[in-house]
Amino acid sequence: MTWSATARGAHQPDNTAFTQQRLPAWQPLLSASIALPLFFCAGLAFIGLGLGLYYSSNGIKELEYDYTGDPGTGNCSVCAAAGQGRAPPPRCSCAWYFSLPELFQGPVYLYYELTNFYQNNRRYGVSRDDAQLSGLQSSLRHPVNECYPYQYSAAGLPIAPCGAIANSLFNDSFSLWHQRLPGGPYVEVPLDRTGIAWWTDYHVKFRNPPLVNGSLALAFQGTAPPPNWHRPVYELSPDPNNTGFINQDFVVWMRTAALPTFRKLYARIRQGNYSAGLPRGTYRVNITYNYPVRSFGGHKLIIFSSISWMGGKNPFLGIAYLVVGSLCILMGFVMLVVYIRYQDQNDEDEDDE
Amino acid sequence: MDCTLVRTLVRRYCAGEEDWVDSRTVYVGHREPPPGAEAYIPQRCPDNRIVSSKYTFWNFIPKNLFEQFRRIANFYFLIIFLVQLIIDTPTSPVTSGLPLFFVITVTAIKQGYEDWLRHKADSAVNQCPVHFVQHGRLVRKQSRKLRVGDIVMVKEDETFPCDLIFLSSSRVDGTCHVTTASLDGESSHKTHYAVQDTKGFRTEEDIDSLHATIECEQPQPDLYRFVGRINVYSDLNDPVVRPLGSENLLLRGATLKNTEKIFGVAIYTGMETKMALNYQSKSQKRSAVEKSMNVFLIVYLCILISKALINTVMKYVWQSKPFQDEPWYNQKTEAERQRNLLLRAFTDFLAFMVLFNYIIPVSMYVTVEMQKFLGSYFITWDEEMFDEATGEGPLVNTSDLNEELGQVEYVFTDKTGTLTENNMEFKECCVEGHVYVPHAICNGEAAIDMIDASPGAGGREREELFFRAICLCHTIQVKDDDEVDGPRKSPDSGKRCAYISSSPDEVALVEGIQRLGFRYLRLKDNYMELQNRDSDIERFELLEILSFDSVRRRMSVIVRSATGEIYLFCKGADSSIFPRVIEGKVDQIRSRVERNAVEGLRTLCVAYKRLIQEEYEGIYKLLQAAKVALQDRERKLAEAYEQIEKDLILLGATAVEDRLQEKAADTVEALQKAGVKVWVLTGDKVETAAAACYACKLFRRNTQLLEVTTKRLEEQSLHDVLFELSKTILHCSASLTRDNFSGLSADMQDYGLIIDGAALSLIMKPREDGSSSNYRQLFLDICRNCSAVLCCRMAPLQKAQIVKLIKFSKEHPITLAIGDGANDVSMILEAHVGIGIIGKEGRQAARNSDYAIPKFKHLKKMLLVHGHFYYIRISELVQYFFYKNVCFIFPQFLYQFFCGFSQQTLYDTAYLTLYNISFTSLPILLYSLMEQHVTMDTLKRDPALYRDIAKNALLRWRVFIYWTFLGVFDALVFFFGAYFMFENTTVTSNGQVFGNWTFGTLVFTVMVFTVTLKLALDTHYWTWINHFVIWGSLLFYVVFSLLWGGVIWPFLSYQRMYYVFIQMLSSGPAWLAIVLLVAVSLLPDVLKKVLCRQLWPSATERVQTRNQCLSVEQPTVFMLSQTSSGLTF
Repeated sequence: MTWSATARGAHQPDNTAFTQQRLPAWQPLLSASIALPLFFCAGLAFIGLGLGLYYSSNGIKELEYDYTGDPGTGNCSVCAAAGQGRAPPPRCSCAWYFSLPELFQGPVYLYYELTNFYQNNRRYGVSRDDAQLSGLQSSLRHPVNECYPYQYSAAGLPIAPCGAIANSLFNDSFSLWHQRLPGGPYVEVPLDRTGIAWWTDYHVKFRNPPLVNGSLALAFQGTAPPPNWHRPVYELSPDPNNTGFINQDFVVWMRTAALPTFRKLYARIRQGNYSAGLPRGTYRVNITYNYPVRSFGGHKLIIFSSISWMGGKNPFLGIAYLVVGSLCILMGFVMLVVYIRYQDQNDEDEDDE
Repeated sequence: MDCTLVRTLVRRYCAGEEDWVDSRTVYVGHREPPPGAEAYIPQRCPDNRIVSSKYTFWNFIPKNLFEQFRRIANFYFLIIFLVQLIIDTPTSPVTSGLPLFFVITVTAIKQGYEDWLRHKADSAVNQCPVHFVQHGRLVRKQSRKLRVGDIVMVKEDETFPCDLIFLSSSRVDGTCHVTTASLDGESSHKTHYAVQDTKGFRTEEDIDSLHATIECEQPQPDLYRFVGRINVYSDLNDPVVRPLGSENLLLRGATLKNTEKIFGVAIYTGMETKMALNYQSKSQKRSAVEKSMNVFLIVYLCILISKALINTVMKYVWQSKPFQDEPWYNQKTEAERQRNLLLRAFTDFLAFMVLFNYIIPVSMYVTVEMQKFLGSYFITWDEEMFDEATGEGPLVNTSDLNEELGQVEYVFTDKTGTLTENNMEFKECCVEGHVYVPHAICNGEAAIDMIDASPGAGGREREELFFRAICLCHTIQVKDDDEVDGPRKSPDSGKRCAYISSSPDEVALVEGIQRLGFRYLRLKDNYMELQNRDSDIERFELLEILSFDSVRRRMSVIVRSATGEIYLFCKGADSSIFPRVIEGKVDQIRSRVERNAVEGLRTLCVAYKRLIQEEYEGIYKLLQAAKVALQDRERKLAEAYEQIEKDLILLGATAVEDRLQEKAADTVEALQKAGVKVWVLTGDKVETAAAACYACKLFRRNTQLLEVTTKRLEEQSLHDVLFELSKTILHCSASLTRDNFSGLSADMQDYGLIIDGAALSLIMKPREDGSSSNYRQLFLDICRNCSAVLCCRMAPLQKAQIVKLIKFSKEHPITLAIGDGANDVSMILEAHVGIGIIGKEGRQAARNSDYAIPKFKHLKKMLLVHGHFYYIRISELVQYFFYKNVCFIFPQFLYQFFCGFSQQTLYDTAYLTLYNISFTSLPILLYSLMEQHVTMDTLKRDPALYRDIAKNALLRWRVFIYWTFLGVFDALVFFFGAYFMFENTTVTSNGQVFGNWTFGTLVFTVMVFTVTLKLALDTHYWTWINHFVIWGSLLFYVVFSLLWGGVIWPFLSYQRMYYVFIQMLSSGPAWLAIVLLVAVSLLPDVLKKVLCRQLWPSATERVQTRNQCLSVEQPTVFMLSQTSSGLTF
């Protein structure tokens, strides 16, 4: 900033580069000569990335099965028919058999998928009490009004965990059995039910209320479970680190999905012989069929998926990169043509002036 | 007095409304008039309390809130806020309440602070002590206790506490000097005169014995008009009645100078003083940009309502499937089930409105206002517009019109003082055909160069009479040396008198005559003293002054010489003198006057008449009668003047040169190149004005002049003239369309129109058969096809009429009026943009203008640089704001289709609130303050660039729709990009899944980056501040998100954002998606920019490209040569 040395009048403005709007500045121009190499470079980079993504997505295997039980789609239709129009639906089990001709490359993750289930509905989404879930005593006794109509039970007891989300907790369960040789015995494949929720959710955001006399059950005394639940929240799992509000299934469910069709992680398969993946053979998934979806036109799916660095199978990103990259190159050529054809003309125009 | 009070009360409570009376009566010193005088109607006058503050402590909150919510935008946000409070809405009231509260609070604090300052100033004024005369003694009281009728004493350098009638002064001649710097900015001393019959009352005791009443008009704001009458009662005679004029009135706010003390009686107090009445603000002007902004707002309001409607309808269509409406997992409450369907639909509609209301952001108004306010500082700071000579810089009286400076299509300029210096120099005089040219003074000796042969003896007498006439016929005051600070000069070393006058012509004349041997010394005790060639002092008794007015265009004095002869000297424009002359060498003088006028000199004719005593007495009576009249005084005076100033003998003529302002021609030329039509409106005569127009290149040599003047109308009827002209013009414009718009009009026939006031009033005059609009239309057509128009002999109101005519013509062009004098105020107020020149004829024009500049040449930078910059800045600001809010809200709209139309928000509350306030606000504000798409020098060098933005080019519908569609496209990219990313899969390497808040955060992150980078693409001028703000605001977004998600915030009932942002960043595909989506969003805009620049470059873009090439290829030497070549073509 330069200051003039001359004496100034009282009203005379300061002569700084800023006040005179003469700050040194970089004045870039988006002209064809800059845009052309930019487009070609970006196009090439995008195509390269796109190819990588596409192949890495293609390398991911997925195996899915719709066990909603529409008539004639397998043995789950029995359960579906049995549960039709009855609330609560009776306990029912069904199974899905599949065989793998070759190794299903691991690590394999087990998901369940629900369709037409609006976890992102506003009224549903707000129907929870984060303070209660963080183990706050007062909130345990007095859930927030948003939880209504799942705020207090008919008996007037506060519901823990309150709200529509918790009440609609997904309660189907799966177990996986492997038959190594045809006719041989089915061996249960260990499913790792830990590490399916966000670390921060499980360790920080969700906390059980302080134990009373070392007992979680006593801590929840005076509360009622959500009406749709068969057992209280402290009996979700025998494992003390996985029960109550910090039950991982529960934590996963409480992270509401963005879209009406969504997947949630059920378990990871990474123990014993199965750490490298599912070896070939015949498999059976035992399904405890509890969760009613047909009433709202939904479907339930069970999915085995392997995971790469970029997550599950998703060809979109790779294809999008390829398309955008090709478009860039195409536009680059169009611009090149325009640039060459009209450059002379512009020069002539300027000469005319 | 008690009696009066009782009567007043009775009147107030019994008769209801007090009758409005034209005049008020003031009892001087509260002394009742003697019985037998007319019964006066007492009136209630306020005390002398000045209240400039708007609020009191008690009414501040309600009144200020009311004022603020009267603005339609604030009201809209208030409604949204209230709806959020009342019904169950998706976003908490905080999201819209907080910004609104912020805006309202900041405005309230600002206004409150200003009002507090006003309160302080008021109380300082109201409590300052004033000397009253009570019972013959001086009493000090607070100013606010002053009442109408009180007699006040004011000492030197004090300001007058209220409007006073000047009763007497410590000066023997009953005069006082006053400066009105704080009223109208004129720092020159003005002389005021005490009432003749009271000027003897010089002490407190005397003044207390004065028994008089004053009748005067009700308060009115005109500073220069006052009509009143004083009745002085004495015990012996009938009351003496004297006229009172503005010369007897001392205004509140003016300061007493060079006078020890004066006595005056208060006639207007408090809020009724002329100063207070002038507080009233001018009507608000609104810029074209603001108007387009309001139209766009309405469009967006329609979009908002239709979005809400669509979603509401879709919701009920979608819910018609039974299991969609109420699945088992999301049951309604009993109350909800039983609510009326229509009511439910309506609340849903309102909820959608609330959800989408951010599309009309509260912050846009704040940003626009801040941009205007802060941006206007660049004008005041501009050193190139600072005038070293006067020490004045540009003034910005309103910042609302900054961008209008870039849109001007017509410039109406005054001539004298605006195009010309108003620095008059006496050139020559012509007495009876003999021409005298004074050379420059050498040591005070005048060298006279007589061009013609020496006159005879009779001629010499006439010559001296002429010089005397010029010495006497004026209203100049002499500022004595002893009034001037600094070292005194000895009296004989050529005592240099400083002449002060409201008319610079007079000063030039008197100074010029001084060089010819006659020197005006002073006015003392009503005797004018002058020193003749033989250094003898001659004394003339000043009998009457028939002061100058712009309608009569002449002035006269009546004086009695030492020998007792009475003369009337009259001086005025040739057109007003010649018809009244009966004797003298009219033809010779007329030819000389015309020759001078063609050369651009200002000419005045001088005539005289000898009066005998009886004639003078008749004149005296006539004038007195007119002066005393309370009603129609002006008209009666004019009639009297008309009768007096006739049968004159022509003496000669003078010529005064008014030099063009420096670079006036350059400025006019630049404006014309910029596509701005320049019209000159002047009161001068045709020849003088035309000469000035040629000098400033408004008319060029090849310009064909079309004339609609009185002279021509004497030969032809107006009808014929107009039709003939329009035929010529239409022929030309037909060829113009064939020429396929070659842009520059250099090769075409240029037309210039000259019209005078009389012809104009004929055109404007409504005719009996109602065909007036025809002439007007025809005239407009002619004008529009002329490159330059000169309007001469304009009365001030006619100037405004012309401006209005153009302003409301078919295309509604943006007009700018520039002038320096009081006669330009009406057009300055009328035009879209009014610019005042801080000039010699006082500051009236500057005070009433929107912008004031020291010199005409500064107009070039004002329009071509500042105007251009402000326009591109604000138009980008407006378009960008709408764009970024389409980007913001459209994904929300799309999300409704995927969340069961449940009004679920896509973004977290904090993001909703802060998007417009902090994440994307600063870069655009800075852009709108700093952007320079081409450099200032280029803009000045190449005025044609101004055409690129003419007619609101950057805010046309096409551009607006482009921006809106760009916004929609970007929103689609953000939303569906994220949608396909999240569909049916996980994007983390640990297999865990993301929820809806991660989805929204991804969309939001892409959006913040896209929107900021879009602005970066548009920025052509990257200073370190731009870098700092643009990258800084992106960094701020990231840091804020990390922080917002990194902590469990105890004051929030929801922890939904906990670790969402960080988890998103831990996923590789999210990064890739952000890069991809930002690139895709920006791609069309980049493509459009590059292709447009290549295929259809605007003039601006060509210049940019050329500059770019130059700066790359060559060092500055080449730039300089480019500059010079740019100037030549």
